[in-house]
Amino acid sequence: MTKPASNKNIVLYADDDTDDLDLVQEAFLRFNDTVELIVLKDGSQLLSCLSKLHDEEIAPCLILLDINMPVMNGKEVLKKLKDMEVYASIPVVLFSTSSQPEDIGFARNYSAGFITKPLNKSQMQQVTELFIDHCTEEIQKNIRRHFS
Amino acid sequence: MTMFDFQVLPMQEQVNVLYEQGIYIGKRKADKLTVLIMQLDSFYVEVFYRKYRFEITRLRCSSSTHMLDPYLEQIEVEHFVT
Repeated sequence: MTKPASNKNIVLYADDDTDDLDLVQEAFLRFNDTVELIVLKDGSQLLSCLSKLHDEEIAPCLILLDINMPVMNGKEVLKKLKDMEVYASIPVVLFSTSSQPEDIGFARNYSAGFITKPLNKSQMQQVTELFIDHCTEEIQKNIRRHFS
Repeated sequence: MTMFDFQVLPMQEQVNVLYEQGIYIGKRKADKLTVLIMQLDSFYVEVFYRKYRFEITRLRCSSSTHMLDPYLEQIEVEHFVT
């Protein structure tokens, strides 16, 4: 993990599918001036990264979690985050391949968002905006300031 | 929805139905294409991409479980054998 630039809003994204990691990185490129996306390959790596950022008094503005990952899946990570007071207020989105009602309910129970992975380009453009909509209003304004 | 009902829809509507109701099963590479397979009610749909999750070249439907074969072959079963 490289040290994040302090003037950018940090988004953490954990997914074991390298195609999806590339896809989301590409989608966030248009927000490159205001967002630094840190990608990780499983939930355990994400928790380690979060701990290191916390030691440097840096908090991400958003956490994106794939559900099916090795070592620690997205649901386990979400539970842990909400159990830890220091991280409980960070917005979290479960980013899944299917819109399974039980997964949507799980996200809702843990005050997280739920977004289905897109199938084509038009959906992908909407998804990036939906990600940002989960940040606080202040962060949303900050991220989108170059587009207003 | 039956496979016939699905097949008569325009492609964009098929994609929308898959997005809202499809259950992801797996992914494979075929030459330069990436292929996803999803279950929709009692049949399967393969989505062929020239650029993954961006440009769909075609959709293919089947109610046969044979469509799952190339995905099942990717599973490394030795991890499950003690």
